[in-house]
Amino acid sequence: MLPLDCSRREPAETLAAEPTPEPETDEEVPPPAGTPSPQDLRELELLTQALEKAVRVRKGVSKAGERHGALSLKSAATSRATTASAPPGASGQAGRRTSETKPPRGVHQTTVPARGLPECRLPSVGDRTRMGRGASTTKPRPSLRDQQIPPSAAPQAPEAFTLKEKGSLLKLPMAYRKVASQNSRLWAQLSSPQTSDSKDAASMAKTQFLQKMKTTSGWPGSGLAAAEVEVEAGLLRKACSLMRQRMEEVLSADPADRIQEYYSLLTLEGLQAITGQCLHRLQELRAAVAGQQLGPWPEGRCCRASLPCGGRTDPTWSPQLLFYSSPEELQSLAVLGLRVAMLDQQIHLQKVLMADLLPLVGAREPPGPPWLALCRAVHSLLCEGGERFLTVLRDEPAD
Amino acid sequence: MGRRRRRGGGARVGALPEAIAALSQTLPAGPSPEIFRRAKFDRPEAAPALWQLLFRVLSPPAAAGTRASPALGAQVRLVKSALCSQGYPRRVLARLPEDGSQGSRELLLALAWLLARGPLLEHLLAQTRVWLGDEIPLWQYEALASPGPPAPCQEADGPVDIRHLQWLMGTLRFRWRDLITSQQELCALLGKIHSYTRGCHSDRGLGHLSVAETELLRDPEGGRQLLQRLESENTRLEAALQWRRRELVFWQWMDTVLGSCPLQTSPATFLPRDPASGPGELELVARELRGLHGELQGAVEPRRAAWEAKAGGWGPEWSAAQRATQEAVGRDLAALQRAWEQGGAPAQPHRPCRLVKRDARAVEGPGLRAAELTGALRIRESRLETALGQLQTRCRQELARLAGAEPGLIWILPPGR
Repeated sequence: MLPLDCSRREPAETLAAEPTPEPETDEEVPPPAGTPSPQDLRELELLTQALEKAVRVRKGVSKAGERHGALSLKSAATSRATTASAPPGASGQAGRRTSETKPPRGVHQTTVPARGLPECRLPSVGDRTRMGRGASTTKPRPSLRDQQIPPSAAPQAPEAFTLKEKGSLLKLPMAYRKVASQNSRLWAQLSSPQTSDSKDAASMAKTQFLQKMKTTSGWPGSGLAAAEVEVEAGLLRKACSLMRQRMEEVLSADPADRIQEYYSLLTLEGLQAITGQCLHRLQELRAAVAGQQLGPWPEGRCCRASLPCGGRTDPTWSPQLLFYSSPEELQSLAVLGLRVAMLDQQIHLQKVLMADLLPLVGAREPPGPPWLALCRAVHSLLCEGGERFLTVLRDEPAD
Repeated sequence: MGRRRRRGGGARVGALPEAIAALSQTLPAGPSPEIFRRAKFDRPEAAPALWQLLFRVLSPPAAAGTRASPALGAQVRLVKSALCSQGYPRRVLARLPEDGSQGSRELLLALAWLLARGPLLEHLLAQTRVWLGDEIPLWQYEALASPGPPAPCQEADGPVDIRHLQWLMGTLRFRWRDLITSQQELCALLGKIHSYTRGCHSDRGLGHLSVAETELLRDPEGGRQLLQRLESENTRLEAALQWRRRELVFWQWMDTVLGSCPLQTSPATFLPRDPASGPGELELVARELRGLHGELQGAVEPRRAAWEAKAGGWGPEWSAAQRATQEAVGRDLAALQRAWEQGGAPAQPHRPCRLVKRDARAVEGPGLRAAELTGALRIRESRLETALGQLQTRCRQELARLAGAEPGLIWILPPGR
């Protein structure tokens, strides 16, 4: 029978294969607790056979998906048993414990897609889609995951190693850990503020250099670069939206007493004054753009993307941690983030389209069919988000 | 150069070559220190390497990595236009030939200018930074809303253009939906990986592996490449720190380079400018500001009139309250102004965030909580939806006004949402 064949084959493979992973498993692997006694082995053998029988029964009635889960369970169980009899097995102890406590879950909750092949001896070697699959072909490779599954289990089931069952046993290699910690240390050093005297001297030298560059250029320009104009325009746009928000807050609040009424009045007048200042600044910018040759507009967003002016965003931040407690929470956060971006874009497009399309409607010669079609299209774009259309009926006077 | 002793500044002999070596190692695809030395003397053979370096520095990061770099002439043009729009003061650059054969000294000055203006090296390093954690896109999306380079204007051609516009909007809507669903799927998978690898990260604060780390374990070849990338990044970081210690010498040297340039006496040539491109964005902002100004005026005048009408009959304690209110309003408005002048809403993080799965009860220490961010985003979402609704209502009214002038037509609006 299939399972017995496999189990008989396994010890030979296990013993042959054990030496291979040995050199690769470094000191991270916890040494086995102790050599199990023959009594234990016999009991384990009996337990394994009982499990195999249960699996056979289940195999008869279940679908292919469950078969795979059973196989992985079975092979995991047999591999544990055989590893115990071998010389110090890699992480076999821990694996055995987990596999014994997990059998019901392993069988019921398999996430393996049906691969159609419950046969013991044949993994599809080209099948690499499962996470962390320890295929038999990896034996010659100095694979780090050999420490998690004995290679003998691999030919049995393509999904012997699933992240789900053994994920918490993984360990990052030492080399990687060293390099990664050095990396974060260097980034922290780079972003920490420098010692004051060297920094002052350097920044003074830099300012002097920039000044000299300007004076020796022979160009008396006012120094407004196109990129800076762009940034200022962005700031003014942001100012406008913040002020509008504040205005709406004030207008929607009902003043409870005289003082609050006075507060609202003063706030609105203050906002009006600031808006006036912004408009003035805008006029200055427009005059600068028109009055002097700023140079050609950059191709694409090259400048904005690569060098934000004034260094407003600190590039050397180390990543912050974002804690979430469940996948649903993470999903809702991600979706909300995207929705906010989408709405932002929609609002901007709405403003642009309003500016461009409404004049078109006004300019056309009504009420011919082209004008009606235009009206209908513009209405759907601007008022319904492009999702619904209105209907126009010609109301002919009855003769 | 290295032999001369400099008085003052404390520069040692040999500090300059070290500084230049550190600089060339930190820069991505940096030219060798020899190129820098040749550039001081304006040697033509140093020019192409410097053009290419500037192109790499000034072009957007995505483009620089993926497609093959364009021909030298195109690189030269892009570098010129980028520097011009950044406000590079020396017009000599604009006159350099497009075959990239001359001007190495000028290019060296341009590189120094970029270095002096801002944290250029840190930016370049951050562009190619190796991220080991998982993240979801939560950065500021204002970049999406800002207009790109203006497309050539087409004559409005009636229904044909409108159809194209409708098609574009529909495609955009579809792409957003696609993006949102794939993001949901990604989050589900991330949740699985994080929970399956619980407890095995060496950093207890993180607790579980990220996708990059899990891939490292699954695929040794990819793991080796990741390790190599990390190691080369470490080398660059060390070079950057070395540069910081030595950069004073470099600036002193650059002073001499600048001094050795001939003075500009000829008038600067004007570069051809596309007049339609610049004012577009300013015009939009101007329109918004004018609209806001008008609304504020409309709100203020009746209130002021009503207030003045009620004035009088208030006791001396009123003047104290009046002053206090004025100060409060002044403070609030100043804070509001600071909010946009400093260029960032404090609630929204700009930093990339590494995702960490943790039980809700067990979270302490610095870091963001997804629940709080979600709350802030929901508020923002509802605000944006209201704003969009208001804009759409305004359009509806405007269209009704334009169309209502036509008798004999019945407009049947679509059923409400």
